[in-house]
Amino acid sequence: MTFSTLRSTPRPRRRSIAVGGLAALVSVALAACGGPSASDSPSAASNISAGSGTGTLKVWALDGQSAENTAIQKIVSDFESSHPDIKVKMQFLPADSFAKALQTSSPADLPDVLEVDGPQIANLAYGQKIAPLSDYVSEATVQNQTDAVKGQNTVDGKLYAVSMMNSGLAMWGNKKLLDKAGVTMPKSASEAWTADEFTEVLRKLSAVVPNGKPLGIAENNGLSSEYGIYGFSPVLWSAGTPMIANGKASGALDSDTAVNALKKFASWKQFTNPDGDGTAFQSGQVALNWMGNWMYPAYDKALGNDLVVGPLPNFGKGAKTGSGTIAWSLGGHTKNGAAAGKLLDFLMSDPVVSTYTAANGAPPATKTTAASSPLYGAGKPLAFLRDQLDAACPTEDRLTKQCVAVSRPVTAGYPVVTSSFGKALTAIWGGADVAASLQAAARAIDRDFVDNNNYK
Amino acid sequence: MTLLIRSQAERTAPPARRRRRLSSHSLMGPVMAAPALILLAVFLAIPFLGAIAMSFYRLQLNSTRAPRFIGLEQYSRLFADPDISAAFLHSLGNNFTFAAVVVPVQTALALGLALLVNGKLRGMAVFRTMFFMPLVFPLALVAVVWRLIFARDDHGLLNSAISLFTGGSVGPHDWLGSSATAMGAIIVMSIWQSVSFQMIILLGGLQAVPHDLYEAASLDRAGRWSQFLHVTVPGIRNTLIFVALLTTVFSFRLFDQVYLLGQSGSVDIESTQTMMYQVITTGYDQNNIGQGAAMAVVFLVIVTIVAVIQRRLVRQEGSIR
Repeated sequence: MTFSTLRSTPRPRRRSIAVGGLAALVSVALAACGGPSASDSPSAASNISAGSGTGTLKVWALDGQSAENTAIQKIVSDFESSHPDIKVKMQFLPADSFAKALQTSSPADLPDVLEVDGPQIANLAYGQKIAPLSDYVSEATVQNQTDAVKGQNTVDGKLYAVSMMNSGLAMWGNKKLLDKAGVTMPKSASEAWTADEFTEVLRKLSAVVPNGKPLGIAENNGLSSEYGIYGFSPVLWSAGTPMIANGKASGALDSDTAVNALKKFASWKQFTNPDGDGTAFQSGQVALNWMGNWMYPAYDKALGNDLVVGPLPNFGKGAKTGSGTIAWSLGGHTKNGAAAGKLLDFLMSDPVVSTYTAANGAPPATKTTAASSPLYGAGKPLAFLRDQLDAACPTEDRLTKQCVAVSRPVTAGYPVVTSSFGKALTAIWGGADVAASLQAAARAIDRDFVDNNNYK
Repeated sequence: MTLLIRSQAERTAPPARRRRRLSSHSLMGPVMAAPALILLAVFLAIPFLGAIAMSFYRLQLNSTRAPRFIGLEQYSRLFADPDISAAFLHSLGNNFTFAAVVVPVQTALALGLALLVNGKLRGMAVFRTMFFMPLVFPLALVAVVWRLIFARDDHGLLNSAISLFTGGSVGPHDWLGSSATAMGAIIVMSIWQSVSFQMIILLGGLQAVPHDLYEAASLDRAGRWSQFLHVTVPGIRNTLIFVALLTTVFSFRLFDQVYLLGQSGSVDIESTQTMMYQVITTGYDQNNIGQGAAMAVVFLVIVTIVAVIQRRLVRQEGSIR
């Protein structure tokens, strides 16, 4: 019991808000039963129209880092000056409530153009909150998207979003500590340490770090949250199994392959620094850190020339990395599709993508800018990450030994996949039985799929 | 003065007018209560009825599919489906464990602290402020701080303190990740964070105990302990009952700590999850609104039963007086 709950007369109020939302929902939903829009399966008919190609566009953007916001605002005002008959009404939504706002809004209330989180795209498409956009953005824009982002942005063969940026995972190393232990960072995904070699590497490194725990996996991000599935599903992919195969988690997520891979992963906890404040790598307590590209600026600043980067360990079927992040979509009910398409084309143009990715340091998601990026271009500090993203699988049902970048499962049931996997991963990391945890997660996912008629 | 005028007016007023005024007067009650009643209806009663309705439907957030009536399936899953019921019953058990420890311990501790800061020491205001401070910290901040305290390596504050006091003979322990200590850790953090609220209420109770009772007791040569038992405790009994009731109600609301610690570290979810945690994660993380609503309904029934039992007990206490 806490004061924060108390301060706002917690339970009744918290619940009444939740339940109030539910009540509103159910009444809307029940009303829909008798209405003309009632149908047991969502119709594929389009709710959007092209409009005049002029007028005012409503846009929802994520309230991100201030540099990103400034960049977006400048980009949008540039767009307005180059398209004098289109006005843009921007609204920034705070990150922590962005997903909830999308989830709880009715499709008709959504704006013409909005940012969406990569793994949620299939779910939003299923809820008709976003619309396929190939008819509204130019062919050139679509062609210029990298395969890695097309993987996350495509649902049932239709493109629902376009991306300015992507993301990737890597093993970041502290060269000074690696040298001390006689360990060399692999240079490419094909040279990645096998899981057994990695155990040996950790054992050697544990002798050279102050508390004998040389590995960081950003436990401070939490394993039950979205970071859990993003950061650690590469373990399964690298072992050779997707999380969902043929619309079912049973047989994939809880396969022997998956169980053995996560057992191996959990065995590294003894070498893992809890890193409660997320600074153990920067301060030299951790020699190897399992992390995404977004921490590069902080690592570069702390370690400078001692920062080295390499692939995650190979669990048998080639090293893998996660891919995918925030992208841009058309609102599922926009009546101004033509103008919205123009805005998306503009957002995906080279100068805009360069400006934006320079502001936040993310890998560009368009082919033309990725090659020339000052961070990710050939010979540049993070070229390794781009090489990984260029070797895109790109989705988990198309794993091969050579491909590296994989998008999280593209399914309308994603919310249940991420929450079930996160729960299982947390339990496994805490020492629970791996097979039992994964079986429970697989059952929860399959139950949700069956309850929802497989999201057909 | 007004009273006098009014009574005169009433005396001289014809009976019919007086009756009319009386009836308009009796309308005042409902009118005055209306704002509260409307708010209660809008924010509590109607949503709850909505939750009951929703619990009979398969209803997904973010889905265009029409809700499907499935009767009691969601309730039967709560008690029969091995996965859902295991998690739910586990959460229920965790809630009761939490309440069973927190209510007596926190109330006793709050009383101890209240007695401590009730003394006449120089600079007592400083101590009171310090004890009260955790209450005004945002819980997100508290969770971050306590994660550093409970960190599982030997750099964790608690682990390094233990190692210091035992001369290094006791190794580091994973306080939040081990099922044996995870709930204990959350209990300690919760008590630390909110004990001062109870302390303030009990302090108010203590200061209302008439001072001459203590003087009389000391004339009767009652010792400090005897004074505490026979003067202080009876003097603040009603306050104590109120505090225990309040703590019980709040302890069933346990959510924030578990959610925040679970979001940001490796925590043993099974031994820390609570009913509120289940309701909210089922409804909003898994989009399964119907199942979440069924959980909320069962949860309300359970809390109602606990509240009724507690009221019975308290009434008995009152009747002894």
